[in-house]
Amino acid sequence: MSEPLSIDVRDVTVAYPNGNVALHDATFHLAAGTICALVGVNGSGKSTLFKAVMGFVKPVRGSVSLGGLSLREAQRRNLVAYVPQAEEVDWTFPVSVWDVVMMGRYGYMNFLRIPRAEDRRVAEESLARVGMIEFRDRQIGELSGGQKKRVFLARALAQRARVILLDEPFTGVDVKTEEAIVELLRELRSAGHLMLVSTHNLGSVPEFCDHVVLINRTVLAYGPTDEIFTEENLARTFGGVLRHFRFDESTIQKHDGRAVTVLTDDERPLVFGKGGHLEYSRRQEHEKVVEERAEEPDDK
Amino acid sequence: MIETLLTPLHYEYMVKAILVSGLIGGVCAFLSCFVTLKGWSLMGDALSHSVVPGVAVAYIVGLPFAAGAFITGLLAALGMGFVKTKTALREDAVIGVVFTAFFALGLLLISLNPSSVDLRTIVFGNILGISDPDIWQVVIISAVTLVVLGLKWRDLLLFCFDPNQARSLGLNVRVLHFTLLTLLSATAVAALQTVGACLVVAMLVTPGATAYLLTDRFGKMLGIASVMGVGSSLVGAYASYYFDGSTGGCIVTLQSAIFVLALVFAPKHGLLATRSLRHAAS
Ligand SMILES: Nc1ncnc2c1ncn2[C@@H]1O[C@H](COP(=O)(O)OP(=O)(O)OP(=O)(O)O)[C@@H](O)[C@H]1O
Ligand SMILES: [Mg+2]
Repeated sequence: MSEPLSIDVRDVTVAYPNGNVALHDATFHLAAGTICALVGVNGSGKSTLFKAVMGFVKPVRGSVSLGGLSLREAQRRNLVAYVPQAEEVDWTFPVSVWDVVMMGRYGYMNFLRIPRAEDRRVAEESLARVGMIEFRDRQIGELSGGQKKRVFLARALAQRARVILLDEPFTGVDVKTEEAIVELLRELRSAGHLMLVSTHNLGSVPEFCDHVVLINRTVLAYGPTDEIFTEENLARTFGGVLRHFRFDESTIQKHDGRAVTVLTDDERPLVFGKGGHLEYSRRQEHEKVVEERAEEPDDK
Repeated sequence: MIETLLTPLHYEYMVKAILVSGLIGGVCAFLSCFVTLKGWSLMGDALSHSVVPGVAVAYIVGLPFAAGAFITGLLAALGMGFVKTKTALREDAVIGVVFTAFFALGLLLISLNPSSVDLRTIVFGNILGISDPDIWQVVIISAVTLVVLGLKWRDLLLFCFDPNQARSLGLNVRVLHFTLLTLLSATAVAALQTVGACLVVAMLVTPGATAYLLTDRFGKMLGIASVMGVGSSLVGAYASYYFDGSTGGCIVTLQSAIFVLALVFAPKHGLLATRSLRHAAS
């Protein structure tokens, strides 16, 4: 296997044909053996940054290089893979799961793209790794959202890329699948791969991402998660559009003490007070609830 | 009985017409799988009309018609690409503007030189009167198209399905795009003789669309479309002897009939299948 790769994005500015500058002067650097989150609001340019790193759009300024290689050269060596956002794929296309994973192997095949035993072995292994081997003969439209994601992840694995870009791999995916994907990403990190993951799921970022890039039309900050993922930086990135649950404004009271349960499958948390009663994030709209519960005896 | 069935085959011009139709029908059908999946049906229509001025000029100055047709076809394709990148117009509007411009220019040229070109031949095709040099042009175009498709269909499939993946594997997407466009123009030129500019698009779409209804595997889709293309063209050309009707009309009517059958009876996506599934579910 080839050597670990780093990503170097320098002063990248991308303008769409309609004149819209979606990204300007974006600069960051990531080393191998990293899972990096790409975080920003809708329309902040996450997908655009991916497209620039993959060479799908040509930056008007700036450069992207991978481990010192030009993008083109890195792609020729099958070093970079892209797992698209679900909306970008034509799910009615007459191809099977197996066909899609095989497409990850084209770069290793000869002129006629006839798979050899090695290609079949790698494709099979990749499908098994994402737990999709029994679906190999399904048409790709006949899968659930989470299964679709895993198929395209398998294609990236089959490509044996060192750098993998995943655009919102967790939207429309349940907790179990998310955990499976995260586990896989961790394995890949230990093997020296570099993953860049865009996500709206802020809670899971500190769980599995060791680096973050915060973006809003440009790169606002990048670096290790514990340094960069601060309230101040996030407020700057999201400009007040984040969903809050502030305990002092909510219906949580003294009697709940520390026995508060916070559940979340994605973004807006569901909060239960002590004993399991539902808590609301805004006191004003629920004065009656607060009054009723105030009559309950407080624990010491 | 047998004697009447064999009469068309006693005429050399009929045998030629049937065989050439079958060949073109097959090539068009093969390509139609890519055209329908890429969403280029309108493009096929546009190219088949855009070749008309080229054919006219070629006949007027005495060049092989394929050369002229091919050049204006590509010019139209480039023109469409140019207008599309320079304006915010929707693609269908761009295609509509460019191909009608070319077609109109073709009509004008033909009307100015009525002696050297027959408008009916170009617009409706005249396979029964095809000359030997024209047959050779068709055979060469078909052979080249089939060889390129046969060698590179997997790359072209990836290009249609996921051009971004193609690019990230280091394939040259621009070359693939241009290859498909060139094959489309060339095939439109070849089909012009059989069914005419108006109906070329049917040969370039209907078999692929029908096969799409019948399978969800690309390999099978290619097979079904090709068999349908060759079969309907052979039978259509043969049958046109008895109707004494337009060859192109016969072939395309036959293809459309097969499409309707597939639409109703297809095992998975057909109207009946979906209905009985809904019944079973309720
Ligand atoms: N093809 C395009 N042409 C013109 N503008 C575009 C195009 N694609 C995206 N944009 C614009 O560029 C900006 C960045 O878009 P991008 O898709 O990169 O956002 P994103 O961060 O991925 O958003 P999301 O979280 O919704 O996926 C947006 O303002 C969008 O409207
Ligand atoms: Mg996006």
